[in-house]
Amino acid sequence: MDNKVAIVGFRMAAAPDIEITRERLAFNLTRGLFDDLGIERDDVGTTIICSNDFLDGRTISNVFLDPHVGAYMKDESKVEMDGLNALAYAAMRILSGQYETALVASLGLTGSQASPYLHIEYTMDASYDRPMKLLNELAAAALQAKSYLAEHGYSEGLLDEVAAKDLANAAGNPNQARRMPGITAEQVAASAMYYEPLRELHCYPPTDGGCMMLLASEKKAGELCDKPVWILGMGRSTDNYYLGDRDLATSLSASQAAAKACEAAGIKDPAGEIDFAEISSLFAHQEPLFAEAMGLMESGKAPDAYRAGDTAINGRLPINPSGGPLGGHPISSTGLIRAAETVLQLRGEAGENQVTKADVALVHGQDGLCAQQSVVFVLGT
Amino acid sequence: MGATEEAYFTPVVPMDFTYNYRVGHYLQRYLDGFKEKKVLGAKCPECGQVVVPPRKYCGSCNKVREEFVELSQEGTLENFTVGHVTLVKGKLNEVESPYLVGMIKLDGADNLLLARVEGLPVGEAKTGMRLRAVWKDQAEGDYSDLDHFEPV
Repeated sequence: MDNKVAIVGFRMAAAPDIEITRERLAFNLTRGLFDDLGIERDDVGTTIICSNDFLDGRTISNVFLDPHVGAYMKDESKVEMDGLNALAYAAMRILSGQYETALVASLGLTGSQASPYLHIEYTMDASYDRPMKLLNELAAAALQAKSYLAEHGYSEGLLDEVAAKDLANAAGNPNQARRMPGITAEQVAASAMYYEPLRELHCYPPTDGGCMMLLASEKKAGELCDKPVWILGMGRSTDNYYLGDRDLATSLSASQAAAKACEAAGIKDPAGEIDFAEISSLFAHQEPLFAEAMGLMESGKAPDAYRAGDTAINGRLPINPSGGPLGGHPISSTGLIRAAETVLQLRGEAGENQVTKADVALVHGQDGLCAQQSVVFVLGT
Repeated sequence: MGATEEAYFTPVVPMDFTYNYRVGHYLQRYLDGFKEKKVLGAKCPECGQVVVPPRKYCGSCNKVREEFVELSQEGTLENFTVGHVTLVKGKLNEVESPYLVGMIKLDGADNLLLARVEGLPVGEAKTGMRLRAVWKDQAEGDYSDLDHFEPV
């Protein structure tokens, strides 16, 4: 990308139940971010809110958050998909030249407020899938998992290994909602079966949370922070809605979004040039599936990569050192939290989860049934 | 309850609104075909792919699928999952006996049809199995007419 946009700061939170009102959560995160940066609401040029009307139970749910994120009498707009879509929207507003700063504010309360599964249940085709009553988020994910494992001849044990790795990483991350210190692959394999091959601990937990992030133009970034993280590339892609029309063994949306983001960032060999990745794998199988689709892992070699520890925090190409969405999935915020965790790593501030080499990273977000849509960012120092 | 615990206001969002979605004549013809126990697909003039159920617009080509094609009632189980739970209005419920949800490639189709698979123990389902459609005795032009698939 010719013009540069930086992430200059963020605040995030996640818990099984955040135990405060959504308005206070939005205010606390935004006020905290402003205090971190020493700014006031007048220093924010434009605001993009990411929330889900259906899960909020209110249409145009952003209007209820405007006071708390300081957006009254401003150019505020809303995205209803993953937070990374909002990040792309905000970055484009800065790239337009009209604004020097943009606030991205995302909230999702599916731990205490409403079931996370409602979101997908009511995005399904009302004239076909809903009357058929065969599909739901978990059944669809299971079909994707089955297809992916069968394509490569992988055993179901891969899912236990992936989940155990992510949950162990999540246990060391104070920003995660599901924290299970000492979790083992055997414990994952003993959790309740939902839809074969997916068990409870292969699936994301219901989560409350949010993430606020401030973007700035190159000119402004230096004034606001010492360690700006740059958006080097971004890409999005939308696959077919109908599962039966897709190749579920891979993800076209992820591969195409990653190809666009890497091209913009001048990256030709993702596996060789990307230092680590934060991937929105809502289910265990999605982490290697997306990693293979995005060129971070050799296709057909996922079990070898996990067994060798390549994806671990101290591995060759760490994936989800934060623990990923198996540690928390506040719908609307999940992708943005992946970006925030990436910024922590790139700044060398990820504590016990810090990876050794952190100069260039890939961030993935998704929305829809089995990641019908993917958004990918390449971020760097 | 901790000291910080606050009361919930618990509105029931009234999602019992009625929406009138026009089904369009492609799905209508699909369901009319059910009355005669026929399975129809639609073919794209550009990529030649046949999809079932028939949908008018090809997303890959942005063209109108003009041709209806009657498909075989037999096909191959390409993918499946065994459900140990159901999800209703976002709530997980356990089921008494696990059930099969299959993705079936009907002979003559290029995509996969989602359907219940019955007539065998769930543990014996295997991809590559040949299956055939089982209809309700009295087909009424409803999705439920094509009740399930069973091994040939």
